[in-house]
Amino acid sequence: MALPTMTTEAEGLSPAPTESVEERAVRATLACVARHGLAKTTFDDVAREAGCARATLYRYFGGKRQLVRITVAREAARIAVSIRDAADAEATFEDAVVAMFVRAARELREHEALQFLFAFEPEVVLPHVTFDAGNRFLVGAGAAISPALTRFLPAERVERAGEWLARVALAHALSPAGPIDLTDEAEIRALVRDLVLPGLLRPEPTT
Amino acid sequence: MQVEPRERVLAATYACVARFGMGKTTVEDVVKESGVSRASIYRLFPGGKDQLLRETVGWEMNRFFSRLAEAVYDAPDFASLLQEGLVFAHRAIQEHDVLRKVLETEPERLLPLITVEQHRVLDFITAFLLPYLEREERAGRVRPGVDLESAAQYVARLVLSLIGSPGRWDMDDPEQVRLLVRDELLGGILR
Repeated sequence: MALPTMTTEAEGLSPAPTESVEERAVRATLACVARHGLAKTTFDDVAREAGCARATLYRYFGGKRQLVRITVAREAARIAVSIRDAADAEATFEDAVVAMFVRAARELREHEALQFLFAFEPEVVLPHVTFDAGNRFLVGAGAAISPALTRFLPAERVERAGEWLARVALAHALSPAGPIDLTDEAEIRALVRDLVLPGLLRPEPTT
Repeated sequence: MQVEPRERVLAATYACVARFGMGKTTVEDVVKESGVSRASIYRLFPGGKDQLLRETVGWEMNRFFSRLAEAVYDAPDFASLLQEGLVFAHRAIQEHDVLRKVLETEPERLLPLITVEQHRVLDFITAFLLPYLEREERAGRVRPGVDLESAAQYVARLVLSLIGSPGRWDMDDPEQVRLLVRDELLGGILR
């Protein structure tokens, strides 16, 4: 076996004491996908990486499909919390929304498994974020970040705003070419301040 | 009327994809359908089947957005242009049988190609929208300090997103589309 596997196996053998089997399996799945992609990652690879017996892992997950589904769900929840935390640390609506975009861009950039998939197996990711599945993704992502917006918006505008912010982020992530570079905080701020926020804050017409 | 061989090959590839799907379409099928020789097809598309499929996706996206532009070009103002465009495009996507079929059966082949070709569509929509924004500016309806090019880019990107995945918005409800255009799309751009 190649050296990287040995190193990570050693990590897998001494997990943080509080880490559950599920957490270990999720971490191992991400590590395998970051290294070999999703198609080439086997249930055995993950067991080895996690330092678990195959039978143990099987009892918990019953197969690769379920393992991947749980990994995606846990990662999505973790990233949503990270984005909400970024917003919660700010005082104004503008700063909060800028912080959310900056954090989302960083989570994406630093996510080795997702970066591998975007680069080499886009067919794995795209069916979950475009067309009909895109609707579900946007509604879900919008609902996940909405709690961070309740401080700033009337209740009836919160989910609508959450979905729009998720859409702006997704639309830029899927087609990064263009004058707006979502890794540059000044450009994110200009986008948010000039184009995104005025639409979310627009008062209901009085006439 | 004489049709360019290149155009004939792309139209033929599209017809083959409609009939057999992307995976099963072969260069031989395209030779038969187009009447263009195998040698000429490889001269025009040296990448063979992969290049044919990629360029055919780009070709159909081009046709789709040209039809969209034609349907809305004489709208009276920018907001109406976007409203009409969203409604038209939403219907056209629902009624696009080939797209629907391939999305259902071979999304893993189609979606990466759509994503690769997407920047062309973005440039096309941005260039199409810009003159309408300039007209709004001359009429004094653009908010002070708005950079028209960035504004056109923003609107193009989000219109493209809304056409594929409307999310919470019901594009068959004109009142919802009006609100979406007035607030989310143009709230920062028009007065």
